[in-house]
Amino acid sequence: MALIRFIAHSIAELGNALCFLGDIVRNILRGRIRYGEVLRQMYEQGVQSLMIIVLTSFATGAVLAIQGAVTLTRFGAKEYIAQMVAWSLVREMSPVFTAIIFSAKAGARITAELGTMNVNDQMLATRALGVDPIEYLIVPRVIACFLVLPILTVVSEIVGITGGYLVGVFEANIPSAFYINQTLRAIRYVDFFSGFAKVFFFSVLVSWICCYQGFVTRGGSLGVGKFTTKAVAYSIIIVILSNTILTKIMIMFWG
Amino acid sequence: MIRIEHLSKSFSGQVVLDDINFEVQKGEILVILGGSGTGKSVLLKSMMGLVRPDSGKIWIDGKEITQFSEKELLKVHKGIGYLFQEGALYDFMNVFENIAFPLQEHTDLDKPDIEAKVKKVLEVVDLAGIEGKYPSELSGGMKKRVGLARSIILGSKILFCDEPTSGLDPIRSRDISNLIRDISKGLKCTTVITSHDIRNAFRIADRSVLIRNGKIIAMGTQAQMEASSDIFVQSFIQ
Ligand SMILES: Nc1ncnc2c1ncn2[C@@H]1O[C@H](COP(=O)(O)OP(=O)(O)O)[C@@H](O)[C@H]1O
Ligand SMILES: [Mg+2]
Repeated sequence: MALIRFIAHSIAELGNALCFLGDIVRNILRGRIRYGEVLRQMYEQGVQSLMIIVLTSFATGAVLAIQGAVTLTRFGAKEYIAQMVAWSLVREMSPVFTAIIFSAKAGARITAELGTMNVNDQMLATRALGVDPIEYLIVPRVIACFLVLPILTVVSEIVGITGGYLVGVFEANIPSAFYINQTLRAIRYVDFFSGFAKVFFFSVLVSWICCYQGFVTRGGSLGVGKFTTKAVAYSIIIVILSNTILTKIMIMFWG
Repeated sequence: MIRIEHLSKSFSGQVVLDDINFEVQKGEILVILGGSGTGKSVLLKSMMGLVRPDSGKIWIDGKEITQFSEKELLKVHKGIGYLFQEGALYDFMNVFENIAFPLQEHTDLDKPDIEAKVKKVLEVVDLAGIEGKYPSELSGGMKKRVGLARSIILGSKILFCDEPTSGLDPIRSRDISNLIRDISKGLKCTTVITSHDIRNAFRIADRSVLIRNGKIIAMGTQAQMEASSDIFVQSFIQ
C-alpha cells in the first residue's frame, strides 16, 4: 500500500515537473527571455563555482598524471601519460565533476533562493505585480546554467590538463614539447564533443531539478533546507546515472 | 465593483471557506475580520486570483475571474495593488528597485520619471530618502510601508491589504491604518483589508465582515456590528 502510494506520488510529481519544464520551454520559444537577468545569473552561477572547479580540476589532472606515471611506467608506456590525462578529463572527468560541483554550489543556491522567495511570498508577489514568475525568475536561471556549465567544463579541462602537464614534465621527466604535442594529438574533435554534448544534458537536468524544487518549496525556513538538500541530492544522482547512459550512447555512435 | 458569490475552498479535506457571499462598493473600504487561521488570507488571495477557489464566482470590475487563464489573470493583477502580510519585497533589490519594478514592467516611463514617482510615493508612505536600503535593513513596519508604496505605484483603483497591522506595535498599527485610509480615500480606491485588529479595523473601515469557521457571521458598519446579538460577534468585538 505504502509502496503504491509512493509510486503514485512520484508519477504525479514527475508530471508536475514535466509541466514546469514545458512552461519554461514555451517561454523560451516565444522569445520571452530577459537578457539582462540571464547575464546577471551567469555571473552569479559562474563566479560562484569557478574557484572550486579550478582547484578540483587541477588536483584531478595532477593525480591522473601521478597514477598514470606509476601504472604506465610498469608497462613501459610512460610517454602515453599525456594522452591518458587528456582523454580521461575531456571524455569523463571534467564534464561529470563540473556538473556535480555545479549542482552543489550554483544548484543549491538556485533552489535556496527560489525557495526563500516562495516562503516569503515573493514568488506570489511577482504574480500579483502582473509578472510571470517563470519568465522573470526561472527562465533566466535555466538559460544561464545552459551557457555557464559548458564554459566551466572547458575551464576544468584546460586547468586539469595543465595540472597533468606539470606532473608529467616535472615529476615524470617527460619533455615539455613532447607532452604538449601528445596532448594535442590525443584530443580529437570526437573526444571533445562526446564529453561536451553530455554537459548540455547535465545543464538542462540540473537547472530543471534545482529550479523545480525551489519553485515548489513550502514550509518556511525548514522547507527551504529540505528542498535544497533534495535538489542537490537529485541533481548529483541524475548526473551520475545519466552519465552512464549517455556515455554508452556516445560510444555507440562515435566510438 | 467587487462581488463574491458562493465562494468555497478546501485544502486536502479541510474546509477553509464555506459559501462566502459579499460585495464591495466602488470607493469603499471593507475590512475582513477573523481570528488567525480562519482563511482571511485565502479569501483575499482568491479575490486576487492567486488562489483558485473550488467553487463560486468572483467579479472584479465586471469580469468574472475564476475561470481566467494564468495569462488573463496577470492582466487582472496589474489593475489591483496587493500588500502582502510581510511586504514580500524582493530581497535582491533595494527599496528603489522594488518600487520601480512595476513601473519598469508595465509602463514606458523613462528613468527620471520613474525616479520622481518613486520619490513621491516614498514621501506618501513617510519614508523619504531610503531608496538605497535593502529590505533586510528595514523594520517590519517599514517593509509593509514600502510594500504599500509598491502596490499603489501603478495607480490601481483597487487595493488589497493582507494584515497590514499584524506584528506592529499599537502606535505603528494606528499609523499604517491611517495611512491606508488616507491613500485609499485620496486615490478613491476600492479597498479590502484583512485584519484581526478590531480597533484599527473599525477606525478605517466603512463596513466590515466577520468570518468564523469559513462562514460570514456578521457584516455591516461599526454600529451594526456592535448592535449584533450574536455571542461570538460580541466577544470578538470586545
Ligand atoms: N496553500 C495551502 N495549502 C494548504 N493549506 C492552506 C494553504 N493556505 C492556507 N491553508 C490553510 O488554510 C487555513 C487558513 O489560512 P489563512 O487564510 O492563511 O488564515 P488567516 O485568516 O490567518 O489569514 C489555515 O488553516 C491554513 O493552514
Ligand atoms: Mg493571513
